[in-house]
Amino acid sequence: MPVRKSLVPWKIFAYSIMVLFTILAITPLLWLLTSSFKPHAEIVRNPLGLPRTWYMENFRRAWTQGSLGVYFMNSIFYSVIATSTTTLFALGSGYTFAKFNYRISKFFFALYTLGLLITVHSVIVPLFVLETYIGIGNTRLGVIIPYIAFGLPFAVYLATGYLKGIPDSLEEAALIDGATYMQIFQYIIVPVATPIIATMFIYTFLSNWNEFVLVLTLTSKTAIRSLPVGINSFAGGMSRDYGLQFSALVIGTIPMILFYLIFHEYLERGFAAGISKE
Amino acid sequence: MHNKFRKRYSYWLLTTPGLVVFLLVIMFPVVYSVSLSFTEWSGYGTPKFVGMKNYIDILSDSIFLHGLRNNLLIVFISVLGQIPLGFIFAYILHRRMVSGGRFFQTMIFLPITISSVVVALLWNQIFSASGIFTAFIRIITENPRYVIGMFEQKNLAIVPILFVLLWMHTGTYMVIYLANLQKISPSIIEAAQIDGASEGQTLRRIILPSMFPVIATTAIFAISGSLKAFDLIYAMTGGGPAHFSEVIAIYMYVNTFKYYKYGFGSAASIIIILLSVGLILILQFFTRRIERRNG
Repeated sequence: MPVRKSLVPWKIFAYSIMVLFTILAITPLLWLLTSSFKPHAEIVRNPLGLPRTWYMENFRRAWTQGSLGVYFMNSIFYSVIATSTTTLFALGSGYTFAKFNYRISKFFFALYTLGLLITVHSVIVPLFVLETYIGIGNTRLGVIIPYIAFGLPFAVYLATGYLKGIPDSLEEAALIDGATYMQIFQYIIVPVATPIIATMFIYTFLSNWNEFVLVLTLTSKTAIRSLPVGINSFAGGMSRDYGLQFSALVIGTIPMILFYLIFHEYLERGFAAGISKE
Repeated sequence: MHNKFRKRYSYWLLTTPGLVVFLLVIMFPVVYSVSLSFTEWSGYGTPKFVGMKNYIDILSDSIFLHGLRNNLLIVFISVLGQIPLGFIFAYILHRRMVSGGRFFQTMIFLPITISSVVVALLWNQIFSASGIFTAFIRIITENPRYVIGMFEQKNLAIVPILFVLLWMHTGTYMVIYLANLQKISPSIIEAAQIDGASEGQTLRRIILPSMFPVIATTAIFAISGSLKAFDLIYAMTGGGPAHFSEVIAIYMYVNTFKYYKYGFGSAASIIIILLSVGLILILQFFTRRIERRNG
């Protein structure tokens, strides 16, 4: 088919806006990467050029002086445990909300939907008081439990929507064969829901990994804080060494970019299945 | 009978764990926050009931009002900046108007995977005297002494932050719209174009109406997300200098955790929820009207 003439101006517009925004999106990231290999003085004197020598010292110092190793392990610990728990709980709720015709499910689902609107800030004071009161203030458990909770509303929303679209016949056949509901959950629902499990997991993992306010307010010990809070400390009085700051930023950025590049298809597929209508 | 019991037992077994955590961490504190908001409390002793005083004090505080204005600008840039841009990108990619779409898509989405704190510190560096933005402007204007002055101006301090928000979040909307555009049957579009519909007509008559519910849903997320904005601004400017880039969430945070005004802070956080619900109701009023007009 010949190119339609009317499409030419559209194409010029399309290319220019795409190229412009792409340059805008990656220039800062490339600049961050190259600067992280320069010593402080070179960053100040020559902000634009490539590094004269690829200076690795920044990374070594950021990692040890800024305790980034500790923060990094904490981030992994919080993200993996909270995300797995959220995903499992949300899938359980999603299954019952979608397949058990109990009227109370509607109420529970509405509560979770309301939860989507509630910000971390509106619960942080009572949460802080409550955690101190029951003795889990400033502990790892005190971070993980809120992480699980804040992941739930969106994950339940995704799981319920997805499982509603699965035909009842599979489940009914298994019931006739004498399977229990827990067996159905384990052997039928979990395998069938794999795509949405992947989406829930990736989305929740990303937001837990990047979470900042909860750790900032609920913890005060370096040993249990996570990467965003650790990186933020590079901005304060701790160092005016830009090279150090840049390498800390790179350390915070690379894992998530790799994570996204590997898993983006699942994430995008889930957005199509999950966010389509209210 | 036995089976009925088993079903009920399984229901609660699967539902309770999530519900308990959710109610304990989110719903109970919200209710508690509402009651705290009518009190004066510094964290020790018993809260003292003061009625509407906190709300009245907040609403007549000029720092709060400037923060509210900044928050509304963030809502504005999200709903009228990120959403249309995200849609344009998704549309261009979906209609294959550019080659290498996969590449463009990945690059535009990249910023969203980065934590707000990292984004904040990165852009602070970009705007700093030795940053790439400053270097670039110096080359264009041939003024070797140029430094950005916006942060020091009360009315403009939020502008660089609005730009960073646009940079950061446009990719999310692009991906959501792209995923949903792919659900529109291509044969409908082909049929329309065979019948002589132009690109613009296809967009207006077929694609926009069928994407409307998704756009409305994302607008809800955009509004509540904008009023929650905290991480990026906290790490970039902390609301400063002199509260110029203040937003309500930072106002709430500082009053609570710096000045230990727990009741006052709770009232500010309840105002965030009320604003969010209010704006969403206004949005829904308009979407209903548009949907009715579209039939």
